[in-house]
Amino acid sequence: MTDHNDDYLAGPVPEPDAEASAAERAHAKTFAELVDKTLAGRMPAAMSADDRALVEVATVIRAASGEVELPVARRHAAVEDALRQAVGGAGSAATTAGAIAKLPRTRRWAPWAVAGASSLVAAAALAMLWLRAPRVVEHVVPAAPREAQVPASWRSRPSDALVGRIERDRAGDAATRIDTIFADRLDGYRERRLVGGEP
Amino acid sequence: MASEPADDRSGALLEEEQRLVEEAQSGHLDAMRPLLERYAQPLYGAVILPRLGDTATAEEVLRDTLATAVEKIGRFTWQGKSIYPWLRQIAIHKVYDVHRQAKRSRKLADAMVHEVPAESDPASHADSQLIADEERRAHRARIDDTLARIADRYRVAIELRIVQELPREECAQRLAITVGTFDVLLFRAVRAFRKQFGGSDD
Repeated sequence: MTDHNDDYLAGPVPEPDAEASAAERAHAKTFAELVDKTLAGRMPAAMSADDRALVEVATVIRAASGEVELPVARRHAAVEDALRQAVGGAGSAATTAGAIAKLPRTRRWAPWAVAGASSLVAAAALAMLWLRAPRVVEHVVPAAPREAQVPASWRSRPSDALVGRIERDRAGDAATRIDTIFADRLDGYRERRLVGGEP
Repeated sequence: MASEPADDRSGALLEEEQRLVEEAQSGHLDAMRPLLERYAQPLYGAVILPRLGDTATAEEVLRDTLATAVEKIGRFTWQGKSIYPWLRQIAIHKVYDVHRQAKRSRKLADAMVHEVPAESDPASHADSQLIADEERRAHRARIDDTLARIADRYRVAIELRIVQELPREECAQRLAITVGTFDVLLFRAVRAFRKQFGGSDD
């Protein structure tokens, strides 16, 4: 980023009108850009130690000359971090324990009450799932065995035997054949209903 | 007469502050939140940043300061004045710790921190805003004193670019020089200022 061979922090500062070398001009440009970023609130994290020393001086001048605002979001974050650190985080163990012990009884028990209630609700949901599961099995699974146990005539009623061979001279009498087949299937339906089977 | 409403407001704020401190000391640490919110900015802008110059480190020091305040609120004794001077004292100690660790800025620390006892009069009953304003004036006086000891053109370059925050181009235009020449002028100006201010380690 910069040429560090000139050791410019330790050396004497030239007069304002003294001619600048190419190296000093380059360094001055780099510093000017760092100042730009700092004034825009984006102080770069990475810079040489010498540049940082000068940027810090510039910031000290600026801070002393007017109010340098800490953005509201960062201010909130600092406050929240401080409270969190003091109560449950990186603070000293003794202080933290003391602080927690000082909390009112209701506030100390509140997290446990919430956790307990959540566990109870989860357990109740699991129990309901477990109790309801067998009914589902009873309703769906028996279909196959029951189908195997019913008579073949309940599952299929071939019409070939009813109609028989259709002679050429009766070929146009389809209505009669349909009536016969319909009557046979109606018989099957009634038979199944009367013995308690399902339609 | 004109100061009565301001006095009433100040009194009400102090009463509220006392109540919040007592709540925090009885275990309700959340009561500290409004106090920390109220004083975070004056601590950052008037106490920490002008003594450090590095915004990221200043934010870390602010966090540390607030955390220490919450942890040690039990040790704070209410004496009828704002908690701000106590917070400020914590912040200054933290700043000094940072400077001690960074030897590079030792003289800067000496320049800014040795004034602490005079500014932190424990008997002071001034409110936080007055203290912060007074502190800012003291910093500004030190800056002005240093600016008076460097070359005029350097002082003007710093005033234009860093105090008034004018763009480089406008600064160069006002001084009737090129932007590149202004960059060199500002670079030398800050170096000269640093030497006079006490930041140089040589």
